[in-house]
Amino acid sequence: MAEKEVAILGVGLHKFGRQLGKSCEHMGREAGLMALKDNKVDFKDVQIGFCGHCNQPLGTGLHTFSELGMTGIPITNVEVACASSSRGVILGADLIAAGAYDMCMVIGVEKMPRGMVPGLVGDISDASYEHILGLVVMPGTYSMMANRHSHLYGTKREHFAQSAVKAHRNGSLNPLATYQEVYTLEEIMNARMIADPITVYMCSANCDGASAVILCSKEKAKQYTAKPVLLVGWAQGTPIYHQGDPALSEGPTDLLAQKAYEMADVGPEDIDVAQIHDAFSPGEIFSAEKLGFCPEGEGGPFIWEGNTEINGKIPINTDGGLVSCGHPIGATGGRMITELTWQLRGQAGPRQVENPKVALLQNAGLGGMNVMIFKI
Amino acid sequence: MASKEAKKRVPLRKGAFQPPASDKENGYIIGSRCRKCGHYYYRKRAVCLNCHSEEIEEVALSTRGTIWTYTIARQSYPGTLLVPPFVIAMVELPEQVQLMTAITDCDPEAVRIGMEVELYFWKVREDEDGNEVMAFAFRPVSN
Repeated sequence: MAEKEVAILGVGLHKFGRQLGKSCEHMGREAGLMALKDNKVDFKDVQIGFCGHCNQPLGTGLHTFSELGMTGIPITNVEVACASSSRGVILGADLIAAGAYDMCMVIGVEKMPRGMVPGLVGDISDASYEHILGLVVMPGTYSMMANRHSHLYGTKREHFAQSAVKAHRNGSLNPLATYQEVYTLEEIMNARMIADPITVYMCSANCDGASAVILCSKEKAKQYTAKPVLLVGWAQGTPIYHQGDPALSEGPTDLLAQKAYEMADVGPEDIDVAQIHDAFSPGEIFSAEKLGFCPEGEGGPFIWEGNTEINGKIPINTDGGLVSCGHPIGATGGRMITELTWQLRGQAGPRQVENPKVALLQNAGLGGMNVMIFKI
Repeated sequence: MASKEAKKRVPLRKGAFQPPASDKENGYIIGSRCRKCGHYYYRKRAVCLNCHSEEIEEVALSTRGTIWTYTIARQSYPGTLLVPPFVIAMVELPEQVQLMTAITDCDPEAVRIGMEVELYFWKVREDEDGNEVMAFAFRPVSN
């Protein structure tokens, strides 16, 4: 049986922010209602649900979906750290492509305290020697990769910081982002250093938020809208063992991108707008290379020269990315899909890229990575 | 006098390393070696990541390596040992093992990629039984 094509039918977001004082169920409901109303989908037509979250209690998926209805559908919680809700959409896409289900909803939610990311270590008596010593600090691996990148390619601190300049400027155009502050390059580089070369303004912040995505078969989507956004390629994976590799990356970005490009029958040159995982700003430099937007080693100058601005060659993170939107872990993947959907539909307002047709998402976490390609 | 010689040295965390029993002996980092394909790993492993064999023996890893990359941490996780600023590094050992560790006993600003470093133990505190609780990291090789 031929695989069915997959469409993104509805998207929605609850504003991201620091300690909003609302429950996950409440935020998920608001994002979910927005997604349902997007193309006038009835909740009773949703056949299967996934709830992306990392640190919420047992039953969060059920309780969140129950705000919208209790129709008996299977609801499963998905945790791939920062890549949870995009993984939920991929799981739904595989089911729809196989003809097992026709309408799936993915809600991503997270409530986070201030300070360090919770859930990195389980029971403290199980903590690794590295954690006890103090080596497990969130920007640590990105900082080490940034310094290796500088050593190999001469990438400058300004190059890494420029990603944050753009992130904050784009975020100022996004009312749903946690931060809407514009910062100069100097302000970002002189801000409090967390782990060289990453300063506090180059880090994504813990925050609360929710996202929702409704996906279905293309033929079903056409009952709702004449021109649905299509999910045309996807790949998911985890790091692969290589002898001597420091194993600092969340996953094999280039391999997953290659798989997704092949499935979508496009190349990096065809991508008009992208969302990449900037938990810390150097991530944009690494991913631009691994996704094939620029040659290996040239990510620094590529970002520095403005190629990833809204009016640039390949706009990346037009809504401010993780750095400016903030990072409610379970909701981030869905936020990326929401912004790309709005971009493809021409609904991105002041952040709108000119006439994009093909979009790419790269979402990574401690636990795996997803690459997805969308078309309209 | 007698009680000082009776002091045992114990690792801050079991399973990662064995501190030197005395100042005249060498401590070591616990590693694994696959008897089937020869790949090495940090820590004890039950299954080889290269060939999936379960024939793995515990070994002592090399005590010298090279800094592959590093960063200077200016902020730390509450309740952890090292006080910022401290250097977090990936050290490459001759067995083709990469190890996340700290570079201690030097000015953080003096650390460079490619620097030769050696295993270094220090006493963190004494426990209730009077044992010396030890930690390990790497420090620049003194030439």
